[in-house]
Amino acid sequence: MKRRWLTGRILSSLGVLAAVLVLNFLLFRIMPGDPVSTIIDPNFSPEAKAHLRALYGLDKPLVQQFFIYIRQMLTFRFGLSFLSGKPVWDELLSRLPGTLALMASSMVFSSVLGIWLGVKAALNRGKFIERLVLRAGAITASFPGFFVQLVLLMLFAREFPLFPLRGSVSVPPPDGGLTLTLDYVWHLALPVFSLTLMGFGGWALYVRNLMVRALGEDFVLMARARGLSESRVVYGHAFRTILPPILTILLMSVPGLVSGAVITESVFSLHGVGTFLLEAVSGHDYPAAGAAFYLLALMTVVSNFFADLVYGMVDPRVRIEGENR
Amino acid sequence: MSSFLKRKSVIAFIVICLAAIFAPLLLPGEPSRVVGAPFARPLWWNLRLPANEEFYCDERGLAFDWDKLPPSVFTLTGRVTADPEETVEVVWVTPKNEFTLATLSGQSEYWLNLDARDMLFKQKLGLPLIGSGASRLFPSQGSYQLRLDGVDSANLELSLPGGRTGLLGTDQRGRDVFTLLMYGIRTSLIVGISATVIACVLGLAFGLAAGYIGGLTDALIMRAVDVLLSIPTLPILMVLAGIWGKGLWQLVFILSIFSWMGTARSVRSLVLTVRESPWVEGLKALGAKRSYILWRHLVPETAPIMLANLALGVPGAILSEAGLAFLGLSDPRLISWGRMLHEAQSFGAFTEGAWWLLLPPGLGIVILCLIFLDMGRWLEEKIDPRLGGGGDD
Amino acid sequence: MIDVKELSVRYKGSETKAVKDVSFTLEQGSFTGLVGESGSGKTTIISSILGLLPHGTSISGSIAFEGNDLLSLSGDKLRELRWKRISLVPQGALNSFTPVLTIGRHIEEVLETHSGLKRTETGEKIAALLAECGLDAQAAKKYPHELSGGQKQRAAIALALACSPSLLLADEPTTALDVITQAGILKLLVGLRAERGLTVLLVTHDLPLAASVCDRLLVMKDGELIESGSPREIVTAPRRAYTKRLVEAML
Repeated sequence: MKRRWLTGRILSSLGVLAAVLVLNFLLFRIMPGDPVSTIIDPNFSPEAKAHLRALYGLDKPLVQQFFIYIRQMLTFRFGLSFLSGKPVWDELLSRLPGTLALMASSMVFSSVLGIWLGVKAALNRGKFIERLVLRAGAITASFPGFFVQLVLLMLFAREFPLFPLRGSVSVPPPDGGLTLTLDYVWHLALPVFSLTLMGFGGWALYVRNLMVRALGEDFVLMARARGLSESRVVYGHAFRTILPPILTILLMSVPGLVSGAVITESVFSLHGVGTFLLEAVSGHDYPAAGAAFYLLALMTVVSNFFADLVYGMVDPRVRIEGENR
Repeated sequence: MSSFLKRKSVIAFIVICLAAIFAPLLLPGEPSRVVGAPFARPLWWNLRLPANEEFYCDERGLAFDWDKLPPSVFTLTGRVTADPEETVEVVWVTPKNEFTLATLSGQSEYWLNLDARDMLFKQKLGLPLIGSGASRLFPSQGSYQLRLDGVDSANLELSLPGGRTGLLGTDQRGRDVFTLLMYGIRTSLIVGISATVIACVLGLAFGLAAGYIGGLTDALIMRAVDVLLSIPTLPILMVLAGIWGKGLWQLVFILSIFSWMGTARSVRSLVLTVRESPWVEGLKALGAKRSYILWRHLVPETAPIMLANLALGVPGAILSEAGLAFLGLSDPRLISWGRMLHEAQSFGAFTEGAWWLLLPPGLGIVILCLIFLDMGRWLEEKIDPRLGGGGDD
Repeated sequence: MIDVKELSVRYKGSETKAVKDVSFTLEQGSFTGLVGESGSGKTTIISSILGLLPHGTSISGSIAFEGNDLLSLSGDKLRELRWKRISLVPQGALNSFTPVLTIGRHIEEVLETHSGLKRTETGEKIAALLAECGLDAQAAKKYPHELSGGQKQRAAIALALACSPSLLLADEPTTALDVITQAGILKLLVGLRAERGLTVLLVTHDLPLAASVCDRLLVMKDGELIESGSPREIVTAPRRAYTKRLVEAML
């Protein structure tokens, strides 16, 4: 039973990935205009133009291009960037750690803070903390994140110069492992702080609602009837029951995190995949843009897959009943 | 209905719509018009800075007192006539020293166009090339003179845009921020509302098809929904904006393609519930045609959630447009709040500490979103009273 | 062994009392049936005994148990009593188990809390409890939704017996089960009472069911205890009109 469910999830994710690949391919091949127009100087000879086209494989029939493209995507060989002439994969690789660090730390901080506040709010109904959570949840959901980030940047990097104005690392970067790491952390501080600020409200509200519902369930009353301590009832029974949806939401928040990271990197001028995508798109650098987009979509699909997987592991009811969502 | 109209958000919404329609008519100038120095602060901020000053100067010259900080810009433009044999000198007298701004001879008529920001100008006067030329020309408070030697007639304008202009200051080009702000309302509203309307229509269509026709259509549509939901939103919007161009309607189209999924799902589940209900069965038994049931009964059933989805979807569209504009992927000729933030970041607002370029458009976006969210929540509450906020859930 | 005196309960926000001046005594080792329709106050009485009534409920009277008045005990003392001295097989065993924990874990937990056993020592005890209730030792590894209705009920009974209480409250343990499974459950309860010397209070709306196993019946209507006596007395010579109707319905 479990195996059938698992294969089902894998097939589903592969299907989405396939759709993303096809979409990516079509997008960049059917757009108006000559794709190589940015790098081709009109003064180039026809032979030079033909040579460039051949280099990028654009002279072959569409179907053949498609299969070459699939092979390239699956082996992460993304070719050369139009703008820089350098291999796209190298660029992406150098930027991936920064983006992942940003996404991971903001996810951890906002979820931990949000969950803690949400549980506290549910346990203290009607008190200040609950009202704070309800308000914060409502407000932070609708705020344009990048505006908050711009304001924070203006305040804490310009008015009170506590943090750097731009970049992932100081120029020139300091030597020594510890000082270098600290420099990275100092540069990530405002971005992560802003993302956490925008993210914790939604978490807190969601967890508060889940917890309130759980605490009202019969089995919680029964746990109390069995003479278990209050903390065991709250954490071992109520919270444990809402863990599956929490974990799902955690992993389902990754697509949103990806979008948030792209904007954040732009505001703080960080050296990440998001800024790379932006430069590539603005500069009509199709190999680079395609590769960056593919990478981001891949991260999304993989995380969605893990969301399903983890949910299945944590909620025993799913494994047997299969998917009826 | 009356309780709806009394809500603060609705009043605010009506005010904003009126502003969007009438402000362009009431405001004195074009948004692209330069009204002052670049990065001028709002008039009510830092009163030690001078506001815009302008002086007209004829052949008798000009004399005035100056008791504030130096202006941001110094330009002298106009026409001077003189005897071709004479040497004309235009001299600027400050309390500390004198500057010969121009020495002219050999013509009967001269057109002056002097700007203290010019490198050549600064070089000629021996001013340092870096830094504000105008502030060098105004070394202290005191009496200043513009002396014209050897001219017959003169018709000159001394323009001294100061550090303070307008209700909300100016941007990097000297355009009035308040005007830009008012013109930006239109963009946000048009993009936000039309993108959401289209998305809702698409969602309604797909939801109805999936729910009512069922079978393969349903499976296909739901698969499409899953795939689209798995694609990271902002990156795909960026890519599409980059490929298909940055125009207003392209943007609306792109935004709506990626927002119809939620509505489709809700409509589909509604249709699935209603489809099995007794009164639909009864209609079918009476021989009602499928299209009749669809149009006259099912669609009206969906009206409440559609309205709520509409109001709640607009903030998302506004934010997406603002996000794309902020990244520089919107039409540069189109005034939008996101674009204003983009220009603020790209053209040095941070170095200048120009908070008046950040707060107005940003807060505008926030307020607009909050308004729609509030209206949407009110609609949601009306549909399903159990969703009332706070307290017991 | 438990003495309820003039118990009155009124829920918050309600005009009428759910339980009106109810008094009864349960002798040690007795098997008593508390019979009545839904809403007659049966479950409220059970909740009062265990101290599970929601905040804001007004209660008066006293419940004497082992030298304590249960209604005036502090939270901590009440928690000690729960499950160790008095335990409950709740109505609808479906919701009495936490869905994400195994049956074994439920039992293990109360053993850890009340009997001070460590995790390593509980395995045998759990298997023994399950066997006593007619369940395979494998049941310990299962999740609540994996058991059938009858199995869940047996598991709930096993859980209730974990700390060897002296008083067992059973709230509609056989409702929603088929007749054969019902009989099995009842047989189990009767057997356990004999082996362990339990005092059992069986709450049900099913008069014939209660009459078939109980020593004594208490009949409730609208929060009042209207009649009590042995099953024989109740069935053959009911005193109140209502009781009469209940009896006639069964024949």
